[in-house]
Amino acid sequence: MAAAKYHFTQEAPPDALLSDLQTLNKFQDEQFSQLISIVFSFLVEPSKSARMLQQLDEFAEHHGISAGPLKNVVKSLLSVLNGALRRNLTPALLKEDLTNLGVTEERAAYLESQWKSNLAALSRMAMGQTLMVNQLVDMEWKFGVTAASSEVQKVGNTFLQLKLVVNKGDRAENVYMELTLPQFYSFLHEMEKAKSSLEYFT
Amino acid sequence: MAPTDSVNFEALQILLKASSREQVVALCQQASTLGQAKSVPTQTVAQVSTALSVEPTEARQLTQALQAVISTCLQQDLSDSASIQQIFPADFHQNLKSLLVGVLAEHLSQWKTQAINSQVSLPQLVDFDWRVDMKTSADSVSHMSAATCLLQLKVQNVPKQVDRVPPVDVVNVELSKETLDTMLDGLGKIRDQLSSVAAKP
Repeated sequence: MAAAKYHFTQEAPPDALLSDLQTLNKFQDEQFSQLISIVFSFLVEPSKSARMLQQLDEFAEHHGISAGPLKNVVKSLLSVLNGALRRNLTPALLKEDLTNLGVTEERAAYLESQWKSNLAALSRMAMGQTLMVNQLVDMEWKFGVTAASSEVQKVGNTFLQLKLVVNKGDRAENVYMELTLPQFYSFLHEMEKAKSSLEYFT
Repeated sequence: MAPTDSVNFEALQILLKASSREQVVALCQQASTLGQAKSVPTQTVAQVSTALSVEPTEARQLTQALQAVISTCLQQDLSDSASIQQIFPADFHQNLKSLLVGVLAEHLSQWKTQAINSQVSLPQLVDFDWRVDMKTSADSVSHMSAATCLLQLKVQNVPKQVDRVPPVDVVNVELSKETLDTMLDGLGKIRDQLSSVAAKP
């Protein structure tokens, strides 16, 4: 059945994608599972692209395949899987797409089971990659008592100093501030309210 | 920092021209806001000279003298009338002395708090606000529901110029649930330490 509609993408995929995926059928079982594990370990940690390329080179050398076509196959497979991740496809829908793309039933079923077991980690990674503006990275604090000052010889009030490290996109910015004790208590109270509100929505 | 000898007690005599105790109190309040400033702003001088109908130079000298008396009392932490009386010379006008001592004793604790609040410090937190947002989609995932907290802190900078109120900086910070939990952990530790310090006799 030639299905024109896929779940992982809205437009029709190029023919090159179809032929690349059908090449997957040509791998032996063990080679296939090794290749898939390389692909999934990259999907879970997308920043480690250098590592994946190195693993693919080793794989190509070990099995006597040329690296270029192998990388094209992996690229096509990754585009299918990324589309599936973006659209939160269930394992069943992914398998349906794969079989419609020409992957054999057996290989598609293997991919489906791998997808199912990795789904939690993959979703967490995708959500973790979403934009965070001015993310709080670190907080340091110290508190103490003012002993004296140039104006008053004997002071005795408590202060709390906070240093917040904020990720401003291209650099980390330090924000320093001082709080009086009543301010600290009301800040703590409000943050506890925010936490319970966040928990309610999670 | 003005030691007692540099208080211009002669200038204080100008207070004899004041019409009421309230006016003396008002003049002292004005002087207390100056803190350790070396010069009196012209506006204050003008106000004092019209209030007492004296020359601007005399008005300035009076305000500076009051400033010096108040800062001496604050430094040496004199809070009762007897100790405050000690700083005046023996031949100072008796009624004026008892009036000043009375005013000073009454307001010193208030001025002390004022001085402490405006002492050297890191930028002070002035206000803060938070809201909880729900992210529903992004370019990496088309459907999700992730809650994050946005915290806005208003921080007043340290004064960089004399007589200028420092600007208030606004810092916006985004916190994920884990970050907020960790932050609350830290704040809780501070609270526990504070209560253990307070519990000690």
